[in-house]
Amino acid sequence: MTDMKRRTFIRATAGAVALGTLGIPGLVLGASRRVVVVGGGVGGCTAAKYLRKLDPSLAVTLIESKPAYTSCFMSNEVLSGDRTLQSLTFGYDGLRRHGVEVVQGTAVGIDPEKKQVQTAAGDTFGYDACVVSPGVGFKWDAIEGYDEKVANALVPHAWYAGPQTQLLRRQIESMPEGGHVIIAAPPNPFKCPPGPYERASQIAMYCKHHKPRAKVTILDAKDAFSKQGLYMEGWRKLYGYGTEDSMIQWISAAAGGAIEELDPSTRTLVGLVEDFQGDVVNIIPPQKAGAIAFAADLVDGDWCPVDKRTFESSRHKGIYVLGDASSAAAMPKSAYAANSQAKVAAAAIVARFQGKEPDDPTFVNTCYSIVGEAFGISVAAVYGFDSHTNTITPIPGSGGVSPANASPEIRKREVSYAHSWFKNVINDMME
Amino acid sequence: MEKMKNNDTLHKSARHVLLVMLAVLPAAVSAGPSGQAMAFTCAGCHGTDGSSVGPSMPAIAGMDPEVFVDAMKAYRQDERNSSIMNRIAKAYTDEQLKEMGWFFASQRLQLFPQQYDATLAARGAELHEEYCEKCHENGGRPGDAGTLAGQWMPYLHYTMEDFLDGNRKWPRKMKRKVDAAIEEAGDDAIPALVNFYGSQR
Amino acid sequence: MPSRIETKRVACLWVALLGLMITSAATAVTPEPVDGTAQPAGELMIDNFDPETGKRIIPNERCLTCHGDEEHRTDVRDDGSPVEIFVHSEQIEASVHGSQKCTSCHVTIDRVPHRKAPSVIVGCIECHRETWKEHKDDPDGKHERLEVVNEQIASYMQSVHARPNELDQSRTNATCYDCHAGHNVGELGSIQRAEHRLQNPEICGHCHEKELEDYRTSDHGKAVMEERDSEAAVCSDCHTTHEIASPETDKAKLQITKNCGDCHQEAQRTYFKSYHGQVHRLGYTDAAKCHDCHGGHLVKSEDDPTSEIHASNRLQNCRNCHEDANENFLSFWPHGDAHDRENYPGLWAFRVFMEILVFAVMAFFWVHVLLWLYRELMDRIQGKGFVEDLSQPDVVYFRRFPLVWRWIHFLFAIATMTLILTGTTLLFSHTAWAKAVVEFLGGIRMEGIIHRTAAVIWLGIFFTHLAIATTNIWRKRKTFEWFGSTSLVPNMKDFRDLRDMFKWFLGRGPRPQFSQWTYWQKFDYWAPFWGATVIGLSGLILFMPDKTSLILPGWTFNIANLVHAEEALLAAIFLNSVHFFNVHFRPERFPMSTAIFTGVIPIDEFKHDHRLQYERLLETGELEKHLVHRPSRRLSLAASFITTVLIMAGLTLLTLVLFGLVTLPS
Repeated sequence: MTDMKRRTFIRATAGAVALGTLGIPGLVLGASRRVVVVGGGVGGCTAAKYLRKLDPSLAVTLIESKPAYTSCFMSNEVLSGDRTLQSLTFGYDGLRRHGVEVVQGTAVGIDPEKKQVQTAAGDTFGYDACVVSPGVGFKWDAIEGYDEKVANALVPHAWYAGPQTQLLRRQIESMPEGGHVIIAAPPNPFKCPPGPYERASQIAMYCKHHKPRAKVTILDAKDAFSKQGLYMEGWRKLYGYGTEDSMIQWISAAAGGAIEELDPSTRTLVGLVEDFQGDVVNIIPPQKAGAIAFAADLVDGDWCPVDKRTFESSRHKGIYVLGDASSAAAMPKSAYAANSQAKVAAAAIVARFQGKEPDDPTFVNTCYSIVGEAFGISVAAVYGFDSHTNTITPIPGSGGVSPANASPEIRKREVSYAHSWFKNVINDMME
Repeated sequence: MEKMKNNDTLHKSARHVLLVMLAVLPAAVSAGPSGQAMAFTCAGCHGTDGSSVGPSMPAIAGMDPEVFVDAMKAYRQDERNSSIMNRIAKAYTDEQLKEMGWFFASQRLQLFPQQYDATLAARGAELHEEYCEKCHENGGRPGDAGTLAGQWMPYLHYTMEDFLDGNRKWPRKMKRKVDAAIEEAGDDAIPALVNFYGSQR
Repeated sequence: MPSRIETKRVACLWVALLGLMITSAATAVTPEPVDGTAQPAGELMIDNFDPETGKRIIPNERCLTCHGDEEHRTDVRDDGSPVEIFVHSEQIEASVHGSQKCTSCHVTIDRVPHRKAPSVIVGCIECHRETWKEHKDDPDGKHERLEVVNEQIASYMQSVHARPNELDQSRTNATCYDCHAGHNVGELGSIQRAEHRLQNPEICGHCHEKELEDYRTSDHGKAVMEERDSEAAVCSDCHTTHEIASPETDKAKLQITKNCGDCHQEAQRTYFKSYHGQVHRLGYTDAAKCHDCHGGHLVKSEDDPTSEIHASNRLQNCRNCHEDANENFLSFWPHGDAHDRENYPGLWAFRVFMEILVFAVMAFFWVHVLLWLYRELMDRIQGKGFVEDLSQPDVVYFRRFPLVWRWIHFLFAIATMTLILTGTTLLFSHTAWAKAVVEFLGGIRMEGIIHRTAAVIWLGIFFTHLAIATTNIWRKRKTFEWFGSTSLVPNMKDFRDLRDMFKWFLGRGPRPQFSQWTYWQKFDYWAPFWGATVIGLSGLILFMPDKTSLILPGWTFNIANLVHAEEALLAAIFLNSVHFFNVHFRPERFPMSTAIFTGVIPIDEFKHDHRLQYERLLETGELEKHLVHRPSRRLSLAASFITTVLIMAGLTLLTLVLFGLVTLPS
């Protein structure tokens, strides 16, 4: 019996030594390892940068259809006029300085067997590991009468920062005094959960100075939303929320906020209970994973299931799905979450190239919202990993939102923190 | 027979030693996240490896590891005025804080030029030499008294506000020194010092 | 259970893997710059930490930022009280600890600036012990001094300073840095040490306040504290640095006196010549020691009216021990030096006289002994000289000594040896045997009693003999021939015999023929008369100093002490060498003569040594009267035994005395 155990132990040790020895060629071969990153957003950029940072011998290629990145976070400030779209746009030269090959193109397919990524231009990119971070796509069939064409011309979603953001800004500016802005917020899960409410706040902030009788109505497909208490505290303080004269109005799904149809010509939204007509309408459609995720067969339903330890796709080995497109359950679809996940995936890819099992991951999400002048709020969370259930769980006792009824000084500081946060996130992902 | 038995005993004790080692080792190699992995999660707010580019967020690269741990523990215990760090610090154990501290201590601090008032900075240099240099040596370069030289000025302002408003506990002897500096330079004292530190490269 | 084993196996695998992958892990932790932008140069914060222990490295310069600022020598504690924080960096650098880091000793300092009020906990002992243990076999000898340091540590640990303080048992009475300026421990002979010596009284005075007050007024104190003379005595010179026994103990008293001599060598030399000093040197504190007369902390010159040895205070000083001392005591020379002709001419003269006497007598008789030995050996080689006639073993014996003389000689010998033994212990108090003898006898006071008792017996025998002899002569006053053949009174023939003996020694004449008493026997007889006078008189003076001083001036003690010793020395050497040779060891008599205990000698021997008397008795027909039977076997054995014991005792004493003389410190 005891002998038996001893022998078992010896075998285990020998096995370990053999495995270790096998790992060494992996190290040597590391020089030719290739990683293809699909998507030049927070997840893709961060993954590309950190892959090179963790192992400078890797050949990292980033495929992105746009020539420059425009951040969605902080783009609500464009709507209030506090910021130009230009200030949110960043080229990929920073990544190139890190040794990342940035290819402008659109990935249209991934062959997990051949380990190749195909682009619309017909190029193929072989990989040893592939990172897919496509962000969200929209369910165009969810609201009748609302499609991509309408969005581009009349009723922008502006949920990717770009021309639609500018269109929406122009519509608000040219709206008559006493006009009505309607924002249709999507059902969960969607990218940037506090975004629609910050958007309403930013528009209200603009109107407060320029069109004081204007109204902003949020038609929500949900009955609750992120940082709700803090938003309402801010709205009460700044925009008369809760009074007859409130500049902002929030209509929950239960109160008839869910929208089924749009009449683009009259900018009328058809709800279950009543219809809403606005001078400016912004519909944020329900969301799903970006197109390539579907093309590459990485989705299960709307989103991409992943191993939470590494963010490797549960459907295809060697492909890591990050950010908004992945289903990371507890983690929100935010820039910071994508940034954090990207580092975990990068470390896991490097570890596996070196023949090691990746460490347990750790994640952080931090998100600031600017409710108005000198009124910033935040949410933060630190996540751990439970290897038994393969889930990401917030560390008990940590995280949470800004305290209610905090001092004006703290609220003011959070605005400046938000701006600094923005600079650091951009810096960390691509500079 | 007797000899056999002895051998057996020997093996048994050797095995016990091995078993004890094996029981301890998994703890030593810890399945938890590495210091580097944890430190990476800070970069979104504090810049890559802690070299912040956001003026309100302090640079923590090249920070003294014990000062780091002290600060995190203070946040964890809600002893420091903060908007967010207290919520984050509560997620980490002492050991994890130490590991993160070591990571940041192993990084080189990258400083970024800031706009400052040269007159104030010059005045601040004098004040620093007189009242601050002994603890914040070498013009406040990173050390056991924190990182002041080249630190982001808005952050320094917030910190001094917190001290002066009673929202942050003074380190030993610091109040006396700051009071003396204010006594000498009046309302200019803090801006002068902050501009001095901001002027450092 | 099996699953646990499985877990461990996996873990083990992990460890092996990690071990092999360690290099790649290292690259992962510290990525190299990936592009042309150079990383800013400068130190890394981790360089401030010891990679092995993970402890912060605090350079001395960092400490000196505050502690080396001459303009801000004080700071305030958390409670607002002022505290001296200044440390002389130059001093430290020049000290033996110059290469140490501040934190090597100040082990509790781990943060600068200090996060909480630092507790000064410095453990000197552990470090010095460890360092010595580590380096004692180093060939470069750089750490040699640590051996002494460790001895000092051992002494300190036994001292009163190392004991817990009675008021606060959490600390010792004194610790290393209470006395050693921790930052300024100099090498031997360095300026720091001189400075440290000058500070010594102040340092001790922190606790020993009264003593410092006294010391301050003393000559030592003035020299050290006013004139900054680092050569003058400081506390530790007398009290030692580390042993610091309580001054009440004998050990400390002896040590203190010994330490005075480190500077006052001349005074100590003369002190050790005196009875006081001899007792002291034997290890007893009964007699006066330096500080008994000069005062301890208050030691001052005799010109100082407040000095204990000032003329007006001196008698009082003597009375501390000699309660009945009178004015005569004042003329005693406590440091009288018989070699100092200028200051002590009388003493000097006595010494010169006594030494001439001793040398002359000994020189004469040792020459006499050696020549005699030579002659008898030569004679024996040539088959001449006295040879026992074995054909007549039962020859009649000649009675030389009646019973009373035999008893008197026996007692006299015993008393003399006792006196020699007890007396020379003082004379040779520097020897280990002297200390052992005194201890064996029960201490210096017991020895004094024994010596005085033996002296009384000795004198008693002397006078008893005198009485008997006088009575005998008185009875025969009509017929007694003062210069006759049976008289012990020297006559001209003795001088002729002496001359003829020398001729014989040199082979220039026959052996002279002697009457009843030979000249050397007469010398042996008369010598004690001189000795009894000199030793007896001086001994009487010294017997009870307090009483003697009623009639004699103090300096007579000095004289008496000197002549008593010199004469005793003469007697001790003469009796145990010359007398022993003449009677026992010359080849004709070797190994011994028991005549003084049996009272008889074989007629042959008598005939040989006292031929003239033999012939005269034969002529007058008186010989028969003196002839006796051979002594009984028991008497012979007893006499041999007693003689053997006394000879052995005498030779032992001679050895001890000669050893003492040879090793006498100059």
